[in-house]
Amino acid sequence: MHPLFVLVNRIENMRKDYERLFTYLKPVEPPAGLFDKIILAIKREKELRQTRRLLFGFLSLLIISFITTPLSWTILVNQVESSGISYFISTAASDFGAFLVLWQDFSLAILESIPIAGIIAFTISIGMVLFTLRLFLYKKRLLLGYLMQSFS
Amino acid sequence: MNRSDNQLIVDYFRGDEKALEILIERYLKAIYSFVYWYVRNSQEAEDITQEVFVKVWRNLKRFKKEYKFKIWIFAIAKNTCLDWQKKKRIIPFSVLDNEEGLSFAETIKDPALLPNELLERQDITVTLKGALESLSPKYRMILFLHYNDHFTFREIAEILGEKLNTVKSRHRRALTMLRKFLLV
Repeated sequence: MHPLFVLVNRIENMRKDYERLFTYLKPVEPPAGLFDKIILAIKREKELRQTRRLLFGFLSLLIISFITTPLSWTILVNQVESSGISYFISTAASDFGAFLVLWQDFSLAILESIPIAGIIAFTISIGMVLFTLRLFLYKKRLLLGYLMQSFS
Repeated sequence: MNRSDNQLIVDYFRGDEKALEILIERYLKAIYSFVYWYVRNSQEAEDITQEVFVKVWRNLKRFKKEYKFKIWIFAIAKNTCLDWQKKKRIIPFSVLDNEEGLSFAETIKDPALLPNELLERQDITVTLKGALESLSPKYRMILFLHYNDHFTFREIAEILGEKLNTVKSRHRRALTMLRKFLLV
């Protein structure tokens, strides 16, 4: 018989021997309840991940609204001042009779001078503030709990 | 229907929560057994197994389809065991070195076939358990993965993050040591 064949045969027999030997090892059974513990741990991990995302979203919105609200307010005020809308409105209020006669021209002038960009920017930032506030009020227990847990 | 591991992962990401449970159930016994034989403590094995599956879930998105899930999960289990070992600061290999600085494995002869009488002994389970426990984890794990979980040497090398030749030589040493312990 070829020596290589003898060697391969011997190795194969040895492997079978040890595989047979290992069958004598009693299979180690995982303790009862381990599966449920794993599922629970994953569920907790999922919740933690969601809370982390929520906190990140909340903090991002908070920072953005802190920056954009005063900025958009300044833009709005500047646009109102430069547009002359206040002049048209005060004239209409002081001379109501003239306003009634020339109401179409007055209305058109007021409409043309409305600072639309400023109003939109300010409305969006106020909306963001309200949404952030609402988010905090609804999830305050979750967010504060996570923060307290992280710092303790 | 028996879904493959990769199919279960795909199904899980499509919103089938049950797919993950099936995957965990499929590997729970094998992973627990592997961890148990590494740490030899049922309480610690339980904690580590739990950590292994949480890590699997955490990294499931990073799992590449072309990779074998079984190898991947065992690699995670091995790394978690190593982390545990680092935390406990166990130095198991030096115990086996002799006064001349040679490792125990290097002082004994090459492995050979096991005598039939040994495999027919009544107390073989206890003897084998004792012999395996006497081996250091790096040797024990190779034997366990090869003969119990039927991984090839190439797969073991992937799991352990070692070179194929290192695994083969460690396997040879492990067999030599095991044989020595069994035949004492």
